[in-house]
Amino acid sequence: MTHLILTALREACLNIRGKLASFLVTILMVSLSFMVFDIFIAVSWNLESALREEQQSVGIEVFLQDGVTEVQAIALADIISGMDGVRSVYRVSSEEAEAFFRADLPEQADLLTLMGPDFALPASIQISLHPEYRSSEKVAPIARTLSGMAGVVDVVYGEEYLPGLTRAVDILGRLVLLAGLVLAVSISLVVANTVRLAVAEKSLTVEIMSIVGAPAWFVRLPFLGEGIVTGLSGAAGSLLLTGLVSALLASTVSHGFLPGRWIAGVLLLGAATGALGSWIGMRSGIPRPRS
Amino acid sequence: MLISMRDVSRRYDDWPALKALDLEIEPGEFLVVSGPSGAGKTTLLRLIWMGDLPSTGVVEVAGFRSDRMRRKDYPELRRKLGIVFQDFRLLQERTVYDNVALPLQVAGTSPKAVRRRVFSLLAEMELSHRRGSRPHELSGGEQQRVAIARAMVAHPVILLADEPTGNLDPEVSKRVIDLLLAINRAGTAVILATHDPRQVPAGTARYLYLDRGCLVAPGSWEGFSTT
Repeated sequence: MTHLILTALREACLNIRGKLASFLVTILMVSLSFMVFDIFIAVSWNLESALREEQQSVGIEVFLQDGVTEVQAIALADIISGMDGVRSVYRVSSEEAEAFFRADLPEQADLLTLMGPDFALPASIQISLHPEYRSSEKVAPIARTLSGMAGVVDVVYGEEYLPGLTRAVDILGRLVLLAGLVLAVSISLVVANTVRLAVAEKSLTVEIMSIVGAPAWFVRLPFLGEGIVTGLSGAAGSLLLTGLVSALLASTVSHGFLPGRWIAGVLLLGAATGALGSWIGMRSGIPRPRS
Repeated sequence: MLISMRDVSRRYDDWPALKALDLEIEPGEFLVVSGPSGAGKTTLLRLIWMGDLPSTGVVEVAGFRSDRMRRKDYPELRRKLGIVFQDFRLLQERTVYDNVALPLQVAGTSPKAVRRRVFSLLAEMELSHRRGSRPHELSGGEQQRVAIARAMVAHPVILLADEPTGNLDPEVSKRVIDLLLAINRAGTAVILATHDPRQVPAGTARYLYLDRGCLVAPGSWEGFSTT
């Protein structure tokens, strides 16, 4: 079996070596097609990162009624920290709120003076949530529960933008998946056509292999190998080209290149589309006994 | 019985290439199948190596039945056969050695055993000096000997030869026929499709005559020599 596999691999190399120029042109075509996809997912990834960063900051701020004592506030914070989805709580006293206000908005600090000495910003409890609770569907019920608690005057959690943000992240994920599927189909057809041509070009070899008793997988393996190498090389080439474009744009547009996981995904998609293309190409190209 | 055909017909679209053929071939037999162009000689051979399956009837070759063939059976059947064509069908981008070695390589034989067998066969066929040549560098006779070497390298039980002398001059044709006879004497059944059965000397073979897909004259060399 080892000899057979080695011979099949040798056949694959012979196939590729025999038409190196057209093989390289195909790889270039696949690279350019994949490059469109790479650029799309790079942009998507950067957008999604920004959206996710925004989503990371999603939390709840619970404003307490005037007159809630520190002991009551601590008790409330203890109850909240035990709730599902709550990662941590931070109690902000009235004095601390004023200090934050002055630090964050120094140009409006005079407002506090104008309000007079009896005015105090409300004490609050800032709640940080576990990542899986940072969507509008998960935050809203927690916020409703908090609103109903004694001593709470208001609950703020970004209800104006959070649903839109969650939807945007979701849509972007689906778009990447859809683009991947469309691209996988189109690249598969390019590879299928290449393999079909390769099979036609090698029809005598295919026929003789079959006549001398080569197993079906042995006849197919070189073409399958050619398809996988084409898809994989095309995907790798596209990543190089996209990386080059990314490097050229680095000084003008702040962005990040694809993370390793996504790069592995693109390479895997390349290999898979190559294999799929070979399979389609071989189905119509390799003869079977006529009945 | 090495090969048996029972009520075998084969149609290509509306054209009947073979009609209700019954045939049995014993191990070690030399069978000459003759007839004019389009008589069904090549179809008969294709049915034996199961490049085509019969439209009706059953072909049984070395224990493989045409109506029970699974995909994995085809390679196994074909390793028991050697096939030679009129146009040689050698792979032009490969050397003589690689062409001859192919059936052993696709059967997973070790490179050492392949080398031993191919070298010995090329010597037997007087082709040793040509082992590094490409087919297009050889004469027609040499190419056909390479094709026969490729067909014989895996020790088949049946050698199918489809007009192997069709592209060769009479002297080279005689050498090829002598080679087929020697192969047969060594125990391999040979089925030779030819338009000229008198190439095979009397008494060395059984003769069949096909005409428009029908077996019309199973008989002897004398039958042809008198026509």
